[in-house]
Amino acid sequence: MKDIVISGRRILREVLIYAGCFVAALAVNVYSIVQFKTEWKELFTTLHITLAVALVFFGVLAVLRGIVFCGRLALRRKAG
Amino acid sequence: MRAAPVGESPSDRVRLGLIGVGTRGNLHIAHLLRTPGVEIAALCDDYEPHLQAGLARVKGAKGFADYRQMLDMPGLDGVLIAAPLYLHARMCLDAFSADKHVFCEKSLAYTIEECQAVADAHRGSKKVFQIGHQRMFSPVFLRAFELVRNGEIGQITQIRAFWHRNGNWRNPVPDPSLEHRLNWRLYRAYSCGLMTELASHHMQVANWFLGTHPASCVGYGSINYWKDGRELYDNVNVVYRYANGTHVIYDSLISNVFYGLEIQIMGPKGTIEAETGRVYAEHPKPAPGIVQLINGLENGFFETVPIGGPSWVPDLKKDTKGSLLVNEKITDDGTAISLAAYANAIRSGQPIPGMMEQACRAGVCVLMGQAAMEQQKEIAWPEGFRE
Repeated sequence: MKDIVISGRRILREVLIYAGCFVAALAVNVYSIVQFKTEWKELFTTLHITLAVALVFFGVLAVLRGIVFCGRLALRRKAG
Repeated sequence: MRAAPVGESPSDRVRLGLIGVGTRGNLHIAHLLRTPGVEIAALCDDYEPHLQAGLARVKGAKGFADYRQMLDMPGLDGVLIAAPLYLHARMCLDAFSADKHVFCEKSLAYTIEECQAVADAHRGSKKVFQIGHQRMFSPVFLRAFELVRNGEIGQITQIRAFWHRNGNWRNPVPDPSLEHRLNWRLYRAYSCGLMTELASHHMQVANWFLGTHPASCVGYGSINYWKDGRELYDNVNVVYRYANGTHVIYDSLISNVFYGLEIQIMGPKGTIEAETGRVYAEHPKPAPGIVQLINGLENGFFETVPIGGPSWVPDLKKDTKGSLLVNEKITDDGTAISLAAYANAIRSGQPIPGMMEQACRAGVCVLMGQAAMEQQKEIAWPEGFRE
C-alpha cells in the first residue's frame, strides 16, 4: 500500500485557504447585519454559524479546485 | 403563595375535616398528608365504601356518614367540601353556622341564589373561605397574570378556552341503584356537567385576568355522541361578553382529546397559553442577520412558485415556539399550594383576600352559560348580585 504524504507546505496552503473562506464568511455576516439591520454583537454570537459557512465555502472551493485540477491533468495528457 | 413554616406545637396544628371522599377528596387527602402542620381529624361520606377507603388511608381520623355530625365535632378548625355540586351551598352555610373555616371545591353552588346566600353568609361570618380554583395558586398562572398586568401582551382583546376529553366521563357503578349517586356529574338534578365541573376553572381565570365578570353570554350545548341516558350535555359552546367589548369563547367536549385543554389569552402584543405555560410574542425578536440571509437563500432555491395561484399568504397558525412562563419544572397544578395556603390562613387568622369574589364570579358565570344553552337565549349577569 502506498503512503500518502501531506507536506507541511500543503497543510499551510489549505489553512490559508480556509482562513480566506472565514474572512469571506465574516464579510457575508457583516453584509447580513447591515442588510437586516440586526445587532453588531452577532459578529461574535453567531461565530459558530460563520465558521460553518466558511466550511461550506471551503468545500465549494475544493470542488472547483478539483475540477480545475482534473481539467489541467486531462490537457497535459492530451498534449503529452 | 406558600404556607409559612410551622412548628411542632399542637397549637400550630390545623385540624381539618373532609366532606366527600371520592376522586377529588382522595386527592386532597394525598396533599394534606404531605402538608406540614395539618391534621386530617375527620372524614365524612355517605357512601360507605368511599368512607372506609378514606379511613384506611388516614390513621386516627374519625368517620362520619352525616356531615352535620362532623361539624359538631369539638376541636375541628375547618372543613374541605369535595361533595357533589348540589350540596355545596348547604354544606358551606352549615359550616359557617357551626363557626368553621371552609374550603369548597369548585364550582361554588348549584344556583345563582345559592351563590348569593353563601357570599352573604361568609360576609357575616369572618371565617376563612377558599374555593378550589387552584390556578390562582399555580406559579405558572401567577406569572401569566404578572405578564398581563405588566402589559407584556397589551390589552386583553380576547380569551379563548377549551377543555376536551375523550371518554364517557362515567365512574364504575357496582349496582344500578347507585348510578345517580356515583355519576352525579351526568345528571341535571346534581350538577351542570361540563360547565360547573370543567369550565368553571377557565372562567375563573378569565374573570381574574380581566378583573371583572361578564355582562352576558350566549351558547349552545347538546348530547351528540354519548347518548347513554345522561341528561347533561357532552359538548358545550359558550361566548361571554364583557362590558369593555372583550369576549371569552369557551368550548368543551368529551368525544375528542386532540387539543386537550388550554386557555389562550390574546392581546395585540402577544398570546399566553397558560395551561402549557408558554407566551408567544406577536412580533418575536428577529433571527440573527446571517440566519435570515441563509433562510432567504434556501427559500429562493427550494420554494415552489405558484403559477396562477393566490397572491396572498394564508393566515395559518404561527409556528413559533414562544418562551416558557416559568423555567423550572412544576408538577403541582396549584392544588398542593392552595391547600397549604388554606391551612396557613386558618393558622394565622388572615383570610386570603378576594376568594369569595373569585368563587362567585366563576360560579355565576358557568350557571349563566348553562342557562343560556338550556333556554337558548342571552343571559345577563344577575343584577344586584353582591360578591
